[in-house]
Amino acid sequence: MNTFTRLIGTAAVALALGSGAAKAADLSFMSFTYAEEANKAIVQGVLDNFQKAEKLTVEPLGFAWGDMQKNIFLRARSKTLPDIAQLSERWLPTFASLDNLVDLNTVYGKDKLEAAFAPDALAMGNINGKQLALPLLSGSIGMVANKEVLAKAGINDAPKTVDDFKKALVAVRDKVPNSVPYSMATKNNGSILIDFMVWNWVHGGRIIDDAGKVVVDSQKSRDALTFMVGLMKDRLAAPEIDRPDSRRLLAQGASAFYLDAPQTRTFLRDFSGKGQAFDANVLPMPTPVLKAGDKPVSVQWGHLLVQFANGGKAKADDPADKFLTYIISDKVQTDLPLKMSALPVTKSARAAVADDAYLKNWSAATGDARRNEVGIWSNAADLTNIIGEEVQGALLGQKSADDAIKSMQARLTTSMEKAKKSE
Amino acid sequence: MAVIENNTLAYPVSPHANRGGLKAGQNRIGLLLLLPAAVAFAAVILYPFLSALGLSLFEYTVEMMEPRFIGFENFVKIASDPDVWAAFWTTAIYVALTTTGTLVAGLGWALIMNQPFAGRAVLRSLSLLPWVLPSTVSAFIWGWVFNSRYGVLNAFLMELGLIDYPQAWLSTPEGAMLAVVLTKIWLSIPLFMSFFLAGLQNLDKEQIDAARVDGAGNWAVLRDHILPHLRPVLMIVVVLGVIGNLQQFDTIYALTGGGPVRATTVLSVEVYRRAFEQWDIGFASAVGVLWVAALLPPAFLYLRMLVKGN
Repeated sequence: MNTFTRLIGTAAVALALGSGAAKAADLSFMSFTYAEEANKAIVQGVLDNFQKAEKLTVEPLGFAWGDMQKNIFLRARSKTLPDIAQLSERWLPTFASLDNLVDLNTVYGKDKLEAAFAPDALAMGNINGKQLALPLLSGSIGMVANKEVLAKAGINDAPKTVDDFKKALVAVRDKVPNSVPYSMATKNNGSILIDFMVWNWVHGGRIIDDAGKVVVDSQKSRDALTFMVGLMKDRLAAPEIDRPDSRRLLAQGASAFYLDAPQTRTFLRDFSGKGQAFDANVLPMPTPVLKAGDKPVSVQWGHLLVQFANGGKAKADDPADKFLTYIISDKVQTDLPLKMSALPVTKSARAAVADDAYLKNWSAATGDARRNEVGIWSNAADLTNIIGEEVQGALLGQKSADDAIKSMQARLTTSMEKAKKSE
Repeated sequence: MAVIENNTLAYPVSPHANRGGLKAGQNRIGLLLLLPAAVAFAAVILYPFLSALGLSLFEYTVEMMEPRFIGFENFVKIASDPDVWAAFWTTAIYVALTTTGTLVAGLGWALIMNQPFAGRAVLRSLSLLPWVLPSTVSAFIWGWVFNSRYGVLNAFLMELGLIDYPQAWLSTPEGAMLAVVLTKIWLSIPLFMSFFLAGLQNLDKEQIDAARVDGAGNWAVLRDHILPHLRPVLMIVVVLGVIGNLQQFDTIYALTGGGPVRATTVLSVEVYRRAFEQWDIGFASAVGVLWVAALLPPAFLYLRMLVKGN
């Protein structure tokens, strides 16, 4: 065999392998849950079962939660979007204008979707009448406590008011050495937003009203931020804490309270190294209220699935839509959300898991969740950065709470000039 | 003279011969050899740069499927944007501190490594370790050193009784800047040291010995003999240091993300934040163009030195 023949042969083999690789999967699925060590096996199980059931293969693309928006944005620009992508509910308005996003009402029919899904869950994926996403799992962001740490600090009952909460934090600080009593988010603008929004609601404030007017420059919002700054000054909260840090601190008995979604149980099992044995320490509790009788607050939370297709056109028998159909089936919905310690999104699956003690306790503790008042705007990413920077500036003592609120009002007002709302 | 004339007659020159033929052939081969590098440069650097230059004249946000031409509006917005000017100022501080710090530390370490002592070869090799490590790995190592909850620095200071409880070094503007500067200095010392060491090995030892005999102390030897000798190396190292530090992104982003608030948001981080946190590609490109403009003077100086053979 001469050199030329060898070269031709090698090129042919390379071409065959290349085309084989290109056709390796029937659809691609970009997911942040797949990138989480604690949850990867759960998602892989779903993909494997889908392959067995439908004889279709899925290429999983795992990206960290913090990198997902950037990757979708870049892939949209380079026209290499995946078939299906997982989103946090608050990201959807940012991507709503992508012309490859499929209106799933046109694929499944609006009536069928409304018949299958719980209304609160389906609403998370609806923007201006278009069903741009289907919910994957749902819940709310509320307060979680570590019972073991509370016991060490001599606290028998979960604090109900803000005053009780501060007393409990002082007890933890004084009786549990080297602890961060409340693992408030003080790093990462996305995480800081949630903590500020919750304490702002607790104090009766709003950031942006329903009409899109910025209303954060109020005494109530000042009180909320002053309260958060006070926690830092009294060493009841600490700098350099992001949500993953909070989870680890609580799991390792170095923190008593933090805000998270119900899936916290799965993370805590993993990070504590104790698995399900750690469940006994996890206490979902109502977020403390300003005065007795106030309604506890929590933030609506969920994971969504969006489909990308040329021109936003898809059919129910496309591989990607078969995958969506599979993932919202009772088989998956009565299993995957529970393994991830979250609420299913279909009516039938919710009825089937209605007796799950953890989810019942969670729902009872967090009550009716409010929609994220920042995440519903098309400029949510910019709003999140502004709020995060101003709150962090106050928490770290770079500016007063008053200056931070004033600056936040001015910057948010400028940002909202071109914003569109998702309803 | 007659001999020359005879030789010329013995090798007659064709009337079609091109005097520049050989040189032209060499030039063609030179161009051919240059082609792969030129293609790679055009694809990887020139095209993205021209693309960014073009995008700086457009409005292009995540909400838009196609960019909209707006002329110099992005640059007008930059002129009145305090955050971008703050990023310029932060960049200036960062570049000045890292370049000066690395210069002093690199020269000092090179002087030590130039002395004869047992184990010098091993220590010289170990000195290259920061250069070998990926910069993000180095950033995470330093992040661990400065971490407020389980950092080595806090543990050390508490052990010595110098602080009562852990300090949040990365949560103050000064602490965060110090951390990113120290990390970059640590990363750059091997390169600077290598330059200086090469220069020191060319230094005439007899000149130093003569100065010592004349009573010169260490400082006088450094000031009057070593530094003048290293002047060309110093120039190159300063210019390369400034260029490298102006471009720095990975260690800063991995260590502080540009925070706390915006305390370590240099131009590279500002471009990233505008593009991938605020999804404003047009504005990010405009900031990027100004960032390139900031890089041009030191790059020009460097090229001038290379061309002049300095």
